[in-house]
Amino acid sequence: MSKLVMFHGRECPHCRKMMPLVDKMIEEEGVEIEKLEVWHDEKNADTMRSHRDLITAKCGGQLRVPTFLNTETMDLFCGEVEYEELVDWAKR
Amino acid sequence: MRKYWRCHVCNDIHFGIKAPGICPTCLQKDAYVEVSAQEARGVMSVIETTVDKAAYADAIQVFAAGREFRVNPDRERVDLLLEGMFNNEGNHGLKYCPCRMIEKDFEKDLALICPCNFLNHDTYQDREDGECWCGLFIKRRNDE
Repeated sequence: MSKLVMFHGRECPHCRKMMPLVDKMIEEEGVEIEKLEVWHDEKNADTMRSHRDLITAKCGGQLRVPTFLNTETMDLFCGEVEYEELVDWAKR
Repeated sequence: MRKYWRCHVCNDIHFGIKAPGICPTCLQKDAYVEVSAQEARGVMSVIETTVDKAAYADAIQVFAAGREFRVNPDRERVDLLLEGMFNNEGNHGLKYCPCRMIEKDFEKDLALICPCNFLNHDTYQDREDGECWCGLFIKRRNDE
């Protein structure tokens, strides 16, 4: 698994909004990030659930999507942010 | 602990800690008796109802009417969310919010059925621009 992960849902509007920003970051910044869709892929869902405690602690007590997780530093956020904030997280 | 209750007059089924004092269907007072889950399911199986996306879209409009929140006017967003909810119902059994993930703890995951109890969520409570996490319901402005 890549160091950076985006957990997302196919029918989640927040995820749809963030996806072009993630793609832009990949293209412009050369950032590697793995996109894991969780509602239609049980393995991806289990991967997200394996980080349950970490994610719920920072996401209103819930497993919200999108969640952006650095699996090395465990730095994470969920929801929509501006492009600059996304890049900042990815490069921290 | 919640239990099943059946109105002995009209067979209305209630699921809750205690029986309603007045049956909302036939208005009979003190009409409920505790029944088993099997009996409750049996009574409810008499009528098979279906709620498709269009019917659910109408239902949430009724749910929000006259309240401090309304259904998001962004039709594209609402349609996407409805698609997700109905996919989740088909694939996972219930209309779970497409913007959160179930924990595989059934009792806990009941909190993710749409409409959820978003009024006490951090994205809604004490915020002028409050909305449920997925944005299906948004707080009305003062002039609305």
